Amino acid sequence: MEITFTLNGKKTICHIKVSTTLLELLRETLNLTGTKPGCHEGECGACTVLINGKSVNSCLYLALNTNGKEITTIEGLTKPNGGLDEVQESMIKNGAVQCGFCTSGMVLNIKALQLETMQNKKVPGSGIKNSPNRNEIKKWLEGNLCRCTGYVKIIDAAEEVFNKGK
Amino acid sequence: MSKKLKIIGTPVPKHDAKMRTTGEAIYGHDIKLPNMLYGAILRTQHPHAEFIIDVSEAKKLPGVVCIITADDVDTNHIGYKRDHPILKKNEANCTRDEIAAVAAETKEIAQEALKLIKVKYKVKKGLYNPHDALKKNVPQINKFSSGKFENKNIAEKFFYEHGNLEQEKKNSVAIVKRKFTLPRMTHACMATSNITAHYTKTNGKLLLYSSTQVPFLYQRDMAHALKMNPSDIRIIQPIIGGGFGSKLDMHPFEPICALLSIKTGKPVQILYSREEEFIASPTRQPMEIELTAGVDKNGNFTFREIEIIKDNGAYTSWGATTPFVIMQAFSSLYKIKACRFNALAVYTNNVFAGSFRGYGNPQATFALERVIDLLADEIGMDKAEIRLRNANTKGEITGQGLHYDTCGHKECLQTVIKKLKVEKKKVEKNNRFKRGIGYASMLHVGGGAKIYRSDGCGTTLKIDPYGFCTIITGSNEIGQGSETVLAMIAAEELGIELSKIKVINTDTDVKPWDVGVHASRTSFVAGNSLLGAINILKEKLNNKAAKLLNEKTKSFTYENGNIISPSNQQIALDKVVREMHFTEPNELAIASYFYEPSSKFQDKDFKGNVSGTYAFASQSISVEVDTYTGNVQVLDIHVAQDVGKVLNPLLLDGQIHGGILQGVGYALTEELIFKDGELLNPNFHNYKMLTAADVPNIHFYPVETNDKQGPYGAKGVGEAPLIPTAAAIANAVCNALDIEIVELPITPERVLKAIAEKKNNKKNK
Amino acid sequence: MEFEIESPKNITELCKTIKSYRSKSFRFGAGYTDLLMELKKHTPRNLTVINLAQLKDVSFSSIRSTTKNIQIGAMITASKLVTDTRIEQLFPVLQQAAHNLASTQIRQVATLGGNMCTASPSGDLICAAMALQASCEIMNDDKKIHNLSIQDFFIGVRKTALKKNEFLFAINIPRNKKRTATLHSGFIKIGTRKSMECSVVSLAFHLQIDKTGKIIDAGIAIGASAPTVKFAQSACQFLIGKKINSFSEKEKEEFANKVLSYASPISDIRATAWYRKEVLFNISKGVLE
Ligand SMILES: Cc1cc2nc3c(=O)[nH]c(=O)nc-3n(C[C@H](O)[C@H](O)[C@H](O)COP(=O)(O)OP(=O)(O)OC[C@H]3O[C@@H](n4cnc5c(N)ncnc54)[C@H](O)[C@@H]3O)c2cc1C
Ligand code: FES
Ligand code: FES
Repeated sequence: MEITFTLNGKKTICHIKVSTTLLELLRETLNLTGTKPGCHEGECGACTVLINGKSVNSCLYLALNTNGKEITTIEGLTKPNGGLDEVQESMIKNGAVQCGFCTSGMVLNIKALQLETMQNKKVPGSGIKNSPNRNEIKKWLEGNLCRCTGYVKIIDAAEEVFNKGK
Repeated sequence: MSKKLKIIGTPVPKHDAKMRTTGEAIYGHDIKLPNMLYGAILRTQHPHAEFIIDVSEAKKLPGVVCIITADDVDTNHIGYKRDHPILKKNEANCTRDEIAAVAAETKEIAQEALKLIKVKYKVKKGLYNPHDALKKNVPQINKFSSGKFENKNIAEKFFYEHGNLEQEKKNSVAIVKRKFTLPRMTHACMATSNITAHYTKTNGKLLLYSSTQVPFLYQRDMAHALKMNPSDIRIIQPIIGGGFGSKLDMHPFEPICALLSIKTGKPVQILYSREEEFIASPTRQPMEIELTAGVDKNGNFTFREIEIIKDNGAYTSWGATTPFVIMQAFSSLYKIKACRFNALAVYTNNVFAGSFRGYGNPQATFALERVIDLLADEIGMDKAEIRLRNANTKGEITGQGLHYDTCGHKECLQTVIKKLKVEKKKVEKNNRFKRGIGYASMLHVGGGAKIYRSDGCGTTLKIDPYGFCTIITGSNEIGQGSETVLAMIAAEELGIELSKIKVINTDTDVKPWDVGVHASRTSFVAGNSLLGAINILKEKLNNKAAKLLNEKTKSFTYENGNIISPSNQQIALDKVVREMHFTEPNELAIASYFYEPSSKFQDKDFKGNVSGTYAFASQSISVEVDTYTGNVQVLDIHVAQDVGKVLNPLLLDGQIHGGILQGVGYALTEELIFKDGELLNPNFHNYKMLTAADVPNIHFYPVETNDKQGPYGAKGVGEAPLIPTAAAIANAVCNALDIEIVELPITPERVLKAIAEKKNNKKNK
Repeated sequence: MEFEIESPKNITELCKTIKSYRSKSFRFGAGYTDLLMELKKHTPRNLTVINLAQLKDVSFSSIRSTTKNIQIGAMITASKLVTDTRIEQLFPVLQQAAHNLASTQIRQVATLGGNMCTASPSGDLICAAMALQASCEIMNDDKKIHNLSIQDFFIGVRKTALKKNEFLFAINIPRNKKRTATLHSGFIKIGTRKSMECSVVSLAFHLQIDKTGKIIDAGIAIGASAPTVKFAQSACQFLIGKKINSFSEKEKEEFANKVLSYASPISDIRATAWYRKEVLFNISKGVLE
């Protein structure tokens, strides 16, 4: 079947098998390999992408349900001139990247939190505006496994993004 | 090195972090070659069975290009003891055994074909417990083992001793004996295992895109397995999504993929699913450690006597050699007058164990540090004091012959003891939540480990006419940041901007030899190798610069792309390079160096100075235990580590945090659960890696002892952080609840059981 | 994973689709976090998935207040439950259960309906909804709605009372008895790590307390302790009319034993039956501390 969606700012039309997951569509058909397959079962978050600004596991998302929606992958976070998003910058600066296999998912999930706090002015379940605290960041990242960093630097990187916004 | 360092010691972000943050980095999973086929492996359905296999139906499936079984290939066995057939014939001996492989046009077809392969099994009763495997009259599990030991199911055996054990027993006022049981833990790298093989028929060359961490040993092993010439095999390492020791051995899927490519003449790729990764990866060695140890009336340790039975699994990998490291902890961590050590690796029908960050040391340290607490209790001595009293010291030569030219053990201990005291105000909220603290230390090789005939590393260094520098190093990057450290060293020494330094390290056809990533050796050995090359290159550049500047001196400094004389004359580095090249005697700015650490092979009694230097670390940990649920919450971890010298605090922190969290996982949650040889939790759902929400407060205090041998005084750091963590956590939990823990992981259920047992014991008394 | 798909755009189309698939094999798909996991392992031949994700009807995916109830559409996601202020204020137990379900990413898509209809004994939203004594609004392919108490909705391990031509439309949670009542309401999820846990045992409690400290209504449900989530009726009865701050140690234990009487846990790789009972007893006691 045919689906139409906005991918990293560009209108995209794809012909897909209905049972294709978004992860397969991105990696195998569209060759956007920045989205990583860590488990294919919703447990690791390496495949995280943004759908209408919300972070979602692309391995458990049917590609056909992206019809009419806006998808952002890690490739879409980099600016056209090659400049990086502030979340990416912060990850690098804070030493939050080791093997990097979890990084795309981490970056996008932190981005989602940033978008969330900007829109809702409320971090789920906390009532805190704009700047989630360290524990809220940890909770938000619970679905992104990382085997290399022990998460500390990743949490630091996220914290820095929010502290800057203060 | 008296001069002030500009780059070494600063928090330089990882060399290639940008690429890894934008999705541009190419991992094994991302490789797609023209006409590439997809490989898939059929594994046995039963851990132990005889089987007959029929692939005829599967072959007929459109899109299937090739199917191989043991009958179709002519190969040598693989593994550390060459006791492991790549494809198993007629008999399966553990749940991960490879019995056939398919190459097909798509992944889906490959999977479909696996389902069409007909296998008839005659299930046999397996031996899943090493004690059973050691019984008389049981069958031989591995038919390919050398069988040189008294029992046919012993894979490897170690005996070590120093000092007068009987005398030291007499000198002891307290002796403690305990048996500890350690679980199977797995690496769970975020990228699953993968390989892409490309054989070109016309010239008989095999190109492998492989995530191995030891490419040159791998090349040799692959050649042996496939009966090829090693030089016909080229290994290119794509970006690797996690290692931690899992890629030290060559695993069967790798030569299988090569065979599929050889048979089809097309590129073939095998990617593990996550489930496969859990089932068919090597694991940390599970073992039973029985430790007897004594202390004299002054609180000095007297002796340790150790009996270890390791579950080797059905085949033997490098992991069988972990007793090298284990015995080192027992013989040389804290001063110890006498030590006797026996270890057996026993074949079973379980999956085989491999190498894993720490290499046996977390297991040993857990037993050793737990027993220190018990000894302290026996003689009524403070747990911090007993450790300080027995700590290792600089200049010490241990019973096993390790030379501690530098040693930060005491300082590490003092630091973490002091830091924990500050926040020790035991807040006992109520009956429900109990707090406790625990200490542990560790000793690990810090300058490579001589386990192969060479532990060296080669470097070729060149500077191009534009002043850019290329480091071609034998060493490997597996995410730990070694490239960055090398680039920093070159930047420091040559005064070249970091952005103008390239590190080439992924191609065996290009790079000089190196033994591979293991034993926390990369910064140490590759760093020294690079420094050697830099010295040679500088000599050439200095000569030319002296000529061009009309200077007598040969001692120039290198800064901001310039070469500067003591009298402050300067010339651009790239200019010197061009002058070298374009004027007689026409020379390139290029140099090669091979560094071999001063370490020695151990003698046949396992004695000798096996590493260039040794790393020490201590941790103090506070925990809070919920006595209603048994959940252990780790509150604070203080870690002091003798790193020799901090080369890059950012990367160092990363190694510390990452290691510690693996250690916390080992202590509390991670365990592969097997029943009769079958894995019950092959997924992240039930194999519980810790998440961001579980991260405790980690406080790190580097201790700099400036080892003469290390680059700028640095020692290896990679493995140390996870080694004492489980031990310190166990000690803290025991301290909180006044219970005994002899088994990892310390699950909530085990905690509640221990509490219940304590209650029962009280009642019965 | 091979299947066909139908994506109705509204409830009328949905009902039509269901009718036309009466004699064929089909499954509903909402957030797909359970369904895709299941189909990845095994997809029956000739399966059609009826895709609920593209339905435009607001009623199916909103939270509405009526005088008696708060009605929550089946397509409400866990993250919506977390951020909705009404849920936060009126039913903390449900907010907490939603907040502790899986991960941020899963909560964005996982629906209340999916959780209910998977009918797992460890379903967290089920457990909370049961403590809140919700009722289920079930719609059939004639667009007829009937109500079923949540306890009758679950008839076995992963089995609901839904007939083939029915789907879950919404749940109704009765408003708290008095606006002025203070709530002692929460969700306790036991596992080995802090996040990404499938409950080893869970306990949902929702106690309403009047000004004098008297418990005027109580809902207690337990998860992962029996083939279905269980409502601990006698434990609730035990509490009603008593003062929240006056429980003796003995009474707390009596209460815990009453909760425990609804548990018939099994041993599996996550925990033994012994542990499940032990913990359930302890945390039940903990509710009154
Ligand atoms: C990594 C991971 C972690 C998880 N952790 C938790 C957890 O902590 N706690 C927990 O409770 N669950 C957990 N789950 C399970 C799952 O996420 C939840 O059960 C979720 O609420 C299911 O909702 P869904 O919309 O994704 O359901 P779907 O997968 O779309 O559907 C689930 C089932 O319900 C049926 N269905 C869906 N909607 C309706 C309807 N309106 N009427 C009739 N039938 C319907 C479907 O046919 C299907 O059988 C986890 C799952 C994953 C993958
Ligand atoms: S690949 Fe999607 S969560 Fe792991
Ligand atoms: S950096 Fe390797 S998994 Fe996170």
